[in-house]
Amino acid sequence: MPEGDHSAFGELNMKLDTEVLIIGGGILGTSVARELSRYRVDTTLVEREVDFGWGSTKASATVVCQGGDCLEFRKEYRNSRFVWDSIPLMEPLCRELDVPFKRIGSLSLIRNNNELVKYQKMKNLADKYLPDLEPHQWIDRDTLRRIEPHLTRDVIGALYDPKPAVTDPVRLSIALAENARENGTNIMLGTEVVSISRGTDSFEVQTTEGLIRTRFIVNAAGVYVDKIAAMVDADEFVVYPVKAWIGVLDKKVGDIIRHVVTARPSRPGELIFVNPTVHGNIFFGIPLQLNKRGDYSSTRRMSQAGFATIRSLVPDVSEKDIINSFAGYIMYRNYELGWHECVVAASRKIPRFINFCIGFPGVSAAPAASKEVIRLLSSEGLQTVEKESFKASGRAIPDFSEASDEEKKKLIQKDSRYGHVVCRCETVTEGEIVEAIKRGATTMDGVKYRTRAGMGRCQGGFCSPRVARILARELNVPEEQVTKKGKTSRLLLYKSKELLEGAVNEPA
Amino acid sequence: MNLHEIDVAVIGSGPAGMAAAVRAKETGAKNVVILERAEELGGLLHQCVHNGFGLFYFHEDLTGPEYAHRFIEKTMDAGVRPMLETMALNISPDREITAVSNKNQFLKFRPESIVLAMGCRERSRGALNIPGTRPAGVFTAGTAQRFINVEGFLPGRQVVILGSGDIGMIMARRLTLEGARVEAVVEVLPYVGGLIRNEVQCLHDFDIPLFLKHTVTNIYGERRVEGVRVAEVDSRMNPIGGTERDIACDTLLLSVGLIPENELSLTAGVELDPVTGGPFVDGARQTTVPGIFAGGNVVHVHDLVDNVTWESEIAGESAARFAMGERIPAWAGIKLKAGRNIRYVVPHTISGNEDVTLYMRVREPEQNVRINVGDIAGKSELIVKPSSMLKIELTSEQLKKLGKNVTEVVIDCQKWGGK
Repeated sequence: MPEGDHSAFGELNMKLDTEVLIIGGGILGTSVARELSRYRVDTTLVEREVDFGWGSTKASATVVCQGGDCLEFRKEYRNSRFVWDSIPLMEPLCRELDVPFKRIGSLSLIRNNNELVKYQKMKNLADKYLPDLEPHQWIDRDTLRRIEPHLTRDVIGALYDPKPAVTDPVRLSIALAENARENGTNIMLGTEVVSISRGTDSFEVQTTEGLIRTRFIVNAAGVYVDKIAAMVDADEFVVYPVKAWIGVLDKKVGDIIRHVVTARPSRPGELIFVNPTVHGNIFFGIPLQLNKRGDYSSTRRMSQAGFATIRSLVPDVSEKDIINSFAGYIMYRNYELGWHECVVAASRKIPRFINFCIGFPGVSAAPAASKEVIRLLSSEGLQTVEKESFKASGRAIPDFSEASDEEKKKLIQKDSRYGHVVCRCETVTEGEIVEAIKRGATTMDGVKYRTRAGMGRCQGGFCSPRVARILARELNVPEEQVTKKGKTSRLLLYKSKELLEGAVNEPA
Repeated sequence: MNLHEIDVAVIGSGPAGMAAAVRAKETGAKNVVILERAEELGGLLHQCVHNGFGLFYFHEDLTGPEYAHRFIEKTMDAGVRPMLETMALNISPDREITAVSNKNQFLKFRPESIVLAMGCRERSRGALNIPGTRPAGVFTAGTAQRFINVEGFLPGRQVVILGSGDIGMIMARRLTLEGARVEAVVEVLPYVGGLIRNEVQCLHDFDIPLFLKHTVTNIYGERRVEGVRVAEVDSRMNPIGGTERDIACDTLLLSVGLIPENELSLTAGVELDPVTGGPFVDGARQTTVPGIFAGGNVVHVHDLVDNVTWESEIAGESAARFAMGERIPAWAGIKLKAGRNIRYVVPHTISGNEDVTLYMRVREPEQNVRINVGDIAGKSELIVKPSSMLKIELTSEQLKKLGKNVTEVVIDCQKWGGK
């Protein structure tokens, strides 16, 4: 089945020339691609997965604009600067690209006097560093009970920050990539970088889909950022993969918590949190753990800790309300100290090679940090002449479930497939699924992240056969070739009766 | 038929919906419609190609599609109007239905009464919190059943099934017949979750290994399932260290419970019983919202289609009576309370004036017991299991013995001579 857009090659192992190659199609890579598409620069983005944002981006708690948390974010860290500078950029960016965004504010729970002292310090820092942004407020216990009635009573108050918001980081990555593509960026999905060799004024990048010659490289490879850098000896930094686990609650209890709520059990860095998502679920997470990279499995211990966490913050939650959980990685600069610094730098040894890794919170820092990457590229010698033809706005796939009755009527009148509900838990229609495929979804997960089909309480039990059928039809491939997430992740290995007829082909 | 003249609207066209609609029509309701989101009537019956349907209702051994076909004919003969590819999105507490369809487009109408017959859904991997990776190849048993029996595809050739619910065991046999190899059926409890007839006919007859008191503790494989880890569990269902072993497979099926599908009921303000997951209903199968009735798996999960049909006929009859102007008093009557070793009793209340059938499940398996309905009736059983629904029929004569002022009757499962 078609995995991404290989049209630039025509045939496999053709050679492609580009000016800037971005490695990685997560929130950082797509942000740079979109920024760069404002200029007359020949840009190519490669992503090893068959879609955008499938690494750390999809494992985000989806909270952005949380930079007022100055216990972790300090002036001397460039990361803090990027997060702060991104706060006023995030909402306009989401509006421009038609990505859901909701400002909900955050509550840092204060459970004893020690914590109170810490948060006083934090508020002072925030007042000092962020004078232009809306300030924090102290919330007493009674007010807290009124605004978050389901929250644990075991608190003396909270520090309220009005700035934090929630968005959909995967949809934001997709929207950024779509917009970049519309403005001329060449995007190649399912394309993994195998090796990089250096010429005098260019790099030769061998990928699984062919050779790419480029003058500049932006390494935004997420969990593999240091491995890519090491291919050309540009790994002048150390990052540690830290595993995060997030549990998901049913929309049914989606109003049980209204703000981003965080608490610090004992040591710094051991943050636990619960927050609503922009789509009406609740996410909750446990402290991060150092882990072997690439292992996305969750463990029994993680889910037990997760349930204990959510119960400690919101005692009313029942285990039955958990509909899913997932794990992902954050690349930390310095794990031991529990603070956050990022890698946004031109390699000191290798010219025209930019390493770009934020760690936490990558999505929040992306808007400002990607502008910094453009500055770095231009100081490395890239000509950045603005394009007059740049088109800034993007348009989301219609969201039937969120539409008003009038809008629903209009959608159905325009295209009767919007009257055919395929995913009943999230009320996703065939119209939305077909549109998602038209825009580049090639897999079950691709459809899911764009439309939420299969993301509800039955987790695709009902709609997956129907989505698979629509994918096969729209992509014009046999249904057995439909995959969950590209490559060998085929959903259906055989036709009925195929195993009875003797000759059986092993799954590809 | 004008949408604004509908007497009874039934949501869902599985065995429950069709039985309710037919009975509503027979009772005298003029305009009866069924809202069905699929392309045809019948619901999940179409994918249940095995036999065992209708043994009690039709006194015949039918397959799911045959059972569906009988009721589709009854539905059409009765003059019920099916609204296919139509999905109800919302029901307001005053019974206004909002629905979409790709034929009739966007609809809003207010029938005189409504029967909820949405059935149930399967518990998913996410709800179980099974550790491990997230590859393709993990399906609920019912989804796999649809792929094989309706869509014509086989998910894989080497299968482990977690949970011994009826669909899981039936799929173990189905997969074996399709040429796949079922490596194990793994059940966390010390007994199977489904009917004994399925344990015998689907597992033992096909030599499929059954591991009781075991669970899946890990899933392997990055893109597609490559194997699972299975371990024995202790009495608190925690895996016992040292008992783990890995089984290579390309597919993991889950048959770990069904959940009544009541999201739509909640939009109407219908109150749900946390034990059954379905609406509280009285003897007439009226929910806590007047004029909204419910029957079948949306109320509580059944193990036999025959009972689904019978129960939904009550809901259909009541809905027709309500639509014709008869006021069915909401929630008056005698409360039925689940006592010793009884998990739940449906209906939740009874009027005390009419013959009634009580449906119930026990909490724990037990032998040589007597189910007592207060002191007015009882039934002896050699063996009771949570997987087998119990049924007790009470006549109005028996109910008279309750006396006038009784407001609650306790249903107990007592050991023989253990009183």
